[in-house]
Amino acid sequence: MGGGDADSASPIGRAQMGRGRCFLETAGVEASAAPQAGRASEAGRMNVGVAHSEVNPNTRVMNSRGIWLAYIILVGLLHVVLLSIPFFSIPVVWTLTNVIHNLAMYVFLHTVKGTPFETPDQGKARLLTHWEQMDYGLQFTSSRKFLSISPIVLYLLASFYTKYDAAHFLINTASLLSVLLPKLPQFHGVRLFGINKY
Amino acid sequence: MATVAEQWVLVEMVQALYEAPAYHLILEGILILWIIRLLFSKTYKLQERSDLTVKEKEELIEEWQPEPLVPPVSKDHPALNYNIVSGPPSHNIVVNGKECINFASFNFLGLLDNPRLKAAALASLKKCGVGTCGPRGFYGTFDVHLDLEDRLAKFMKTEEAIIYSYGFATIASAIPAYSKRGDIVFVDKAACFAIQKGLQASRSDIKLFNHNDMDDLQRLLKEQEIEDQKNPRKARVTRRFIVVEGLYMNTGTICPLPELVKLKYRYKARIFLEESLSFGVLGEHGRGVTEHFGIDIDDIDLISANMENSLASIGGFCCGRSFVIDHQRLSGQGYCFSASLPPLLAAAAIEALNIMEENPGIFAVLKEKCKRIHKALQGISGLKVVGESISPAFHLQLEESTGCRERDVKLLQEIVTQCMDRGIALTLARYLEKEEKYLPPPSIVQDLQNKIKWWQW
Repeated sequence: MGGGDADSASPIGRAQMGRGRCFLETAGVEASAAPQAGRASEAGRMNVGVAHSEVNPNTRVMNSRGIWLAYIILVGLLHVVLLSIPFFSIPVVWTLTNVIHNLAMYVFLHTVKGTPFETPDQGKARLLTHWEQMDYGLQFTSSRKFLSISPIVLYLLASFYTKYDAAHFLINTASLLSVLLPKLPQFHGVRLFGINKY
Repeated sequence: MATVAEQWVLVEMVQALYEAPAYHLILEGILILWIIRLLFSKTYKLQERSDLTVKEKEELIEEWQPEPLVPPVSKDHPALNYNIVSGPPSHNIVVNGKECINFASFNFLGLLDNPRLKAAALASLKKCGVGTCGPRGFYGTFDVHLDLEDRLAKFMKTEEAIIYSYGFATIASAIPAYSKRGDIVFVDKAACFAIQKGLQASRSDIKLFNHNDMDDLQRLLKEQEIEDQKNPRKARVTRRFIVVEGLYMNTGTICPLPELVKLKYRYKARIFLEESLSFGVLGEHGRGVTEHFGIDIDDIDLISANMENSLASIGGFCCGRSFVIDHQRLSGQGYCFSASLPPLLAAAAIEALNIMEENPGIFAVLKEKCKRIHKALQGISGLKVVGESISPAFHLQLEESTGCRERDVKLLQEIVTQCMDRGIALTLARYLEKEEKYLPPPSIVQDLQNKIKWWQW
């Protein structure tokens, strides 16, 4: 008895074992062929207060209706709040926006693990960060692309508004790298130096 | 840092763009190319590759033979030759039209046909009807349920109790509510089938120790401790549980609870005690194995029992500290997603508790009778009695097995039939043989081979 499935010795069972098994099991979600999968009818539904068969609702949060807009508005709000602080100049404000956004993204998407609720699968995602849980580990879905592109766009804007200053460049680039690298598929499930592993 | 007075002028910004350092612009170019790459990349699953070629897949599909929908089964399979019981089973039972002394029902306190229980159930039937038609969270909670939970908590001297509507589902829901993937459960090899299913549902790591062997358990706990010291961060997020039964169904023996409590505090594990057979049997007032050994009930983290044996009702309950039991109100699958216990059965259980509290002498009487029966059965040639002398549920096994399980089963079935002809109703111990084989040491299953169960009244 253990955490794995009991495979039978039938030929179909053997075929399934040939697929290899990495320690992060992902649910069987069909890979879509189109690069931009588009907002399918399922993607926008927010299953709040209804009976649904979603084993881990965390995987669908970033696909819910209006969340991209909410995200953009939130970043805009952060920027406006920073702009209203009188002693910050424009370049400082943009760098701060960039850095705070990337820090928040790193903490919420790449540091916090598991789910805030109990899932029916007895904690399959307890060691996975939110980024790794998104869409059950399917790579390059629309939400993932959106969340990868938004820090880059913010970086381009910040570079422009800091007038390509060298100090700001260093800070912004370091911040951008810290948030872009964990999003690569090669870094799925990777924990450097055992940090944040359990 | 620029001063506040500096003007933000678009022309100046664009000018800065022209004068930007080359490395910066190159990096921005790479990032824009990255965006374009992201926009055009396909979605894929990480473990997509299949190591089989199309030809191999075809071959495998050709080879596959479907299993028959109805597998061939021998004519004397027990499920095809069942006995028919007419009338209520109590001290006597009418099997296939013949009245026999009932040694086959789990009726430890003889409450199955108690007139007080029947009256209470009938009164509840007239008041509330037959079923509740709803789970506990969906208009299925009646006052009798809350009363019964209250009474059970008071009886067992714990803070809270929770009722399930099916005895098997009680422990099978309680274990996966607390133990998840990555947690470790140390369980006795002779654990009953309900515990096995609960463990399977929990997806935890299972470590089995030999039946009632505290040295084996200590060895396993020590090994786990060494593992934990190697990886303290993992150990900090791993929960450890020990699951034992008070009175084992499969062997009729009592677990050594004092040693278990010592091990629990030494190795920081939590004890789940399954008291289906010992509730209402052991202890001075029938409170189970904790009273039998004189152990503080707060030392046990969760006690689970079914009400189908001593309480002559249906269903099960778990009792323990409030914060432990409360968790099952949302996480106990059998609690949230099954209809609640019919109120007439809850009323019958309350009445049975009343009887137990009014006559604490019945437990001593029960123990006496058990000892007498054990002694009386000792001398039978060819059969040995397996179980404690004070256990009302014990097994009769063949002293020497014929070597083949099926022949043993046939022999014991013969004995059972002969006894039935003479007016004594007995039954073989039934197992889902293929399912129980998930237990790693098959030898234990074979040791408990083919018993006759004599359930003492």
